[in-house]
Order: sequence, then structure tokens, then C-alpha cells
Amino acid sequence: MTPPPPAGAARSQVDLERKAVVAAPRCLILVGNPNVGKSVLFGALTGKYVTVSNYPGTTVEVTRGSAQLAGRAWHVMDTPGTNNLLPMSEDEQVTRDILLQERDYAVLQVCDAKNLRRGLLLSAQLAEARVPFVLALNMADEAAGRGIRIDVERLARELGVDVVPTVAVQRQGLTLLSEKVAEARPSAFLPRYDPLIEAALAQVEGLLPARGGFGRRALAMMALVGDESLRGLLAASMAPAELERLDGIRRELSARYPESLRFVISRQRLAAVDRLHDAVLSRTGATSAGSGLARRLGAWSTHPVLGVPMLAAVLFAAYEFVGVLGAKTAVDFLENRVFYDRVIPWTQALFGWLLPAGPLHDFLVGPPGAPFRETSGFLVGKYGILSMGLSYGIAIVLPIVTTFFIAFSILEDSGYLPRLAVMVNRVFKWMGLNGKAVLPMVLGLGCDTMATMTARIMETRKERVIVTLLLALGVPCSAQLAVVFAMLAGVSAAAAAWFGASILAVLFLVGWLAARVIPGRGSDFVLELPPLRLPQAGNVAVKTLARIEWYLREALPLFVLGTLLLWGLDRVHALSLLERAAAPVVVGLLDLPPSAASAFILGFLRRDYAAAGLFSHFQPFMQAGTMTREMNIQVTVALVTITLFIPCIANFFMILKERGWRTGAAIAGFILPFSIGTGALVNVLMRRFY
Amino acid sequence: MPAVVARNERCPLCGEEFDAAGQGCRPSCPLAQGCRVVCCPRCGYSFPQETGLAGKLRGLLDRRRERPGGTP
Repeated sequence: MTPPPPAGAARSQVDLERKAVVAAPRCLILVGNPNVGKSVLFGALTGKYVTVSNYPGTTVEVTRGSAQLAGRAWHVMDTPGTNNLLPMSEDEQVTRDILLQERDYAVLQVCDAKNLRRGLLLSAQLAEARVPFVLALNMADEAAGRGIRIDVERLARELGVDVVPTVAVQRQGLTLLSEKVAEARPSAFLPRYDPLIEAALAQVEGLLPARGGFGRRALAMMALVGDESLRGLLAASMAPAELERLDGIRRELSARYPESLRFVISRQRLAAVDRLHDAVLSRTGATSAGSGLARRLGAWSTHPVLGVPMLAAVLFAAYEFVGVLGAKTAVDFLENRVFYDRVIPWTQALFGWLLPAGPLHDFLVGPPGAPFRETSGFLVGKYGILSMGLSYGIAIVLPIVTTFFIAFSILEDSGYLPRLAVMVNRVFKWMGLNGKAVLPMVLGLGCDTMATMTARIMETRKERVIVTLLLALGVPCSAQLAVVFAMLAGVSAAAAAWFGASILAVLFLVGWLAARVIPGRGSDFVLELPPLRLPQAGNVAVKTLARIEWYLREALPLFVLGTLLLWGLDRVHALSLLERAAAPVVVGLLDLPPSAASAFILGFLRRDYAAAGLFSHFQPFMQAGTMTREMNIQVTVALVTITLFIPCIANFFMILKERGWRTGAAIAGFILPFSIGTGALVNVLMRRFY
Repeated sequence: MPAVVARNERCPLCGEEFDAAGQGCRPSCPLAQGCRVVCCPRCGYSFPQETGLAGKLRGLLDRRRERPGGTP
């Protein structure tokens, strides 16, 4: 084994390289969105002699090297990928800080030619910062392969800087790029904002100190949106009175808009970028004729007024698709025609043929001739792996979640999903939730477990705990939402309205709680909305299939585990004991059938499995259209309780990991009585007023 | 380790392209061993990777599109 060089030697080697790098007369900083081929371009320009070091005070790595460009020596820096000079992450802040602190540099902006819009958003901010730059349209070959044609000359004219198409991995365009870097200049492309923002910018610019080559307009923009990472720099270079005046201008401007200033400014900048983008980009063979309509629809979909009927129509279509096609037609076919009429009798017949009548036969599929719901067979029985676990998982929940996943994939592929998130964001804000708290709540509608992890973005422990609690309490995941849709399609419209109103009331309550303990206003949610387009059948099929595979891997084993648990409890006669023990709550408080206790036991594993148990109980009446008033109340009460019930086991483990076992236990200890108490209250109110 | 395949993914919510390595389920989740859900580093949106049957279908569709005369 080669002994490591002495630490001092290694350090002096690094120092030597750094001196060589720093000694270069001019500095070139590579800036670009993540994954645009920036590092490949850096490697192609600098060769192998580079140093990698953490940016001071962070764990973010910055790579430096030297290059000979157009006959001159350059010090080249590769910065972390960024989408915004108004930083939202440590990586983005490092890139912004490098641009703020370095002196006499040129920027080489690397843009993915396939995603010009995202790159131009960054170009617009570099233009506002008045830094000299050149734009490399990297992966130009892939863009051309996809039928994307960019009018490079017009783009260069509009931006006022040189634009060079490149294919970094093949070193195409690098010679021209090297020549143009020496001629880098500030861009003339300056998006104009509405008069209120322009006036505030002018006032703030007058207060700010000069900051090397970084333009005052960009600094003023950062100060206006309340960029906390800039606070230290401003405090060090401005008098307290000036800082106070700046805060006053920001507060005054902020009060004029319902959304956060960051959101308003980003939206207006995006509009300017969209105009430039549309002027220079065309697609061969694409449905450009429809793009105008798509853009108008896209704008309407996030409009505070016009967006609401669109949102309602989308939700109604999803509800009909999942509730009618999935929960009625597909479930009826799979459960009755496939499982009960064929799979279960055939399995019983197979074991009758394989095994002689006796204890082993009875253990596996129950006594010959006995209805399976009256036996305790391991495979086929009341709590059999096949007749309950797989029947629930494959015949009831799978068709429902499949139709839901199809609807969800259509939303994703059409580009409506980010718009839906914007609208939901708005609804959550009406409910009292604010700021960063909204993001995990929206993501919880997909998977609460992953959303619990995103609660890390909250700044204090108290905020993280509250968001975790809200997620576990009131936000159903996609699989549970699908079964809820299915059950609501089987009850009366009034009962469905009772359910909706109950959950909304709880969310308003918890939203109010969150608003009291989580400070801040506005939301920095979606900044970039892709254009609306017709969903492609192939894409929808692939996305749906990926989700079904994920669901089968994640949920089905838990369904089998839950069934095993019930089967074991039933075999040792503990289930009837549990049902009797739970009777005061299940029957006395909630007025549900005693057998609903087993559904709540399953709820400890997965809430959608518990809902499937309830669905199975009421489904024959829903199919026959013989739901009584009593049953409508029972379904509503059970759904409210299950929706608010403790989170699935995966989410619970995540809560324990992220928040610690004490907080996890406290959250579960609060949610369990709260969900039952809310169910009991709905039961009382419905029996009185329904 | 999570069953996430290390490759570039594009977030269906915010459009971010990111390396899926290290963006899978965390070991605290009891399902992390087989879970193929990745989490966008930019917006936190989670979605399952197109692997297995879905990956094969994607490959088939991509090959069809790349063939001359295929759907663009």
C-alpha cells in the first residue's frame, strides 16, 4: 500500500495549483441550471488540473481550474447548478455569493438547449445583475433531434450577448465559445415589472451600496423579496436607518399583493422570458398551431377566478372516472366475476383434489362445501390470505388506484399538475396555512411518508413538528384518496357533502393552529410552469404502470401482513375480544357495526386498507342502490374517522426517524382520540341534521 | 440500499432534471429496501422511477419514436 503523502506536502501541492489558478489575469465563472452539462464543459475547457474545495462555511463543493482561451490565461470556476439568483437552497446561495464576491469576471452561462425557457430565466437574472456573459446552448444536437429549432442570431440580438450552440461531450462549438468568452458583455435584456415594483426598485437601488460588478438592480430585487441570506451583507454596508427604510419599502410593496413578492416578481419575469422564448424557438412537426390556445388555457388554469371552475371540472372528472369506472365497474368485475366466482372456488376445488378431507385441508381452505366467509381457512376463509388479503389488494384497491393513477398521470403529462399545485396552494393559504408549510402539505397528497421528510425545510423544530402532525392527521395519500373517492361515489350527495365539510372543517382548524404557530407569509411555491399539452397515451401508460408496480411492491405485502394479523387474532379468539373491547368506541361512540373494529386494526398498517375493509362491507348495498339513511351515516362517519386516523406504518416509522420516538408517540397519541372524537361528533351531528 | 436506479430523472412537477442516486427513500422507512420512489431535490415531489415493466415499456416506446416514420 502506498503511504499517503505528508499532510503538509499535499497542502502545498494544492496551494501551488491554486496559486497557478489565481495567478491567471482573468476569471471565468460557469453558471447554469443543474444537469445542463456544465461540468463536462468545464472539463473540456480546463483539462485535468483542477482543485475541488468546499465553499467557505458550507459543504458545497466548488471546482477551479485554468484554461487558455483565445490565447489568454483564464482562472475558471465551476459553480453549483442553480435555477435562481434569489437562492432557495445552499447550492443556489453559493453560486449567488460567488457572483457577488468575485471581481472582474466574465460569466459563461450554460443552458440546456432542450429546456431554453429555464435557461432564459437565469439569463434574465444575469442581465439584471449586469454581469458580462456569453450563453452556451449546450446539447444542441439533442434539441435538434427533438425537433427544437432555436433562432440563435435573433436570440443573440435580443439578449445583446453572444450565443453559441455547443455539444460539450463532443467538444463541438468550443473553439467559437472560447473566442466569444473574451468578448463577454452585459446583456441588454431587462424584463420590466409593473409600475409599483419598478418604483420600489428605483427607491431601493438608491439606498444600496455599489457591489463590484454586480448590478444594483439585481441587489435591489434580492433585498425587496426579503432574501435573508443577503441580510448580513446589507447590515455590514448600510446604516441602520437605511436598513429600516428598506424594510419599510418592502413591507409597503408586499402589502399590495396577495402573493409573496418573490412569487409576483418571478411570475412577471417569466412572462417576459416567455415572449422571448416564443420569438426564438420553434418546433418542427410540433402542434405549434395549438400552442396559443394551450398557453391561454395554461394562464386560465392558475387564474384566481377562472382557475376555480377548471379545478372543479378536473376534480369532478377524476372523481367520476375513479368512483364510477374504477370503484363500480372494475371492482365489480374483479371482485365478483373473477375472485368470488372463479379464483376462490377454483382454489377450493384444487385443494379438494390435491388433499384428502382432513385437518390440513380445513386449515388451508376450510371444510368442504362451507361458504368461505364462515370458515377460518388460512388461504380461503373469512380472514384468508387469498380471499381477504389478495382480494382486497387486487380486486378492490388495485382497480381503484389504477384509475386514480391514470387520472394522476394524465394530470402530470398534460402539465396541469404544477397548476393544480398552485391552486391547491391557494386553497391551503385560504385555510390559514402559509409560507413553506404549504409545500409538504401539497406533496402529502402523493405520499405522506416522503412529504414528512420534506418537513425538514421548516426552520424551527416547532414548525417541523406541526407540519408533521398536520400531514399525519388530515392529508390523505393518493391510495387512500382513491378509496375515499370510490366510497363517496356510493353514498348520497348529501352524505358526500357531509364528509367534505367535516374534513375541510378539520383542515381549517389545524390550518388556524398552524397559522398561529408558524410565522411568515406568502408562498414560494412553483416558479416554472411547463406549457399545457395534450397528454401522450404512451407516457400515461408508462407512468401508470410505474405507479402500479410501486403500489404492488409497497402495499400488497402490508395487506398480506394485516390479513395474517387478523387471521392469527381470529384463530386464538383474540379478535372477538378486541371487537368487544372496541365496542364502546366503534359501536357506542361511532354507531358502526362491531366488525368495523377489524378495519380500524388494519388502519394501523395502512389507511387505504382500512378503507377497503369498510368498502367491502358496504359495497353490495352501494352496487344494488339500497343504501339506507343509517348506512349513509355509517359510511360518512367511518370515512371521516379513517381519513383522520393515525398514519400508515411507513409514515409512522418516518415520523419516529425524523422527529424522535417521543414526538412520534405524542403525535399518534393525539391523532387517535382526535380522529375518533371527530367521527363521534360527525355521527351525532348527522343523526340530528342529516 | 434503496432500489433506485442511478440515472437522470425529470421531476413531473417542477421540471427539474436531477441524478436519482441518493434521492431515493430513506433507510428510516421500513419499505426502503424495495421502494423505487425518488424525491425531487428542488421541490420535494416524489414519484416512482420507471423501472421494471414500466421501464421496458418506456424503452419500447422510445425505440418506436426514434424509428424513421415513428411518432415524434
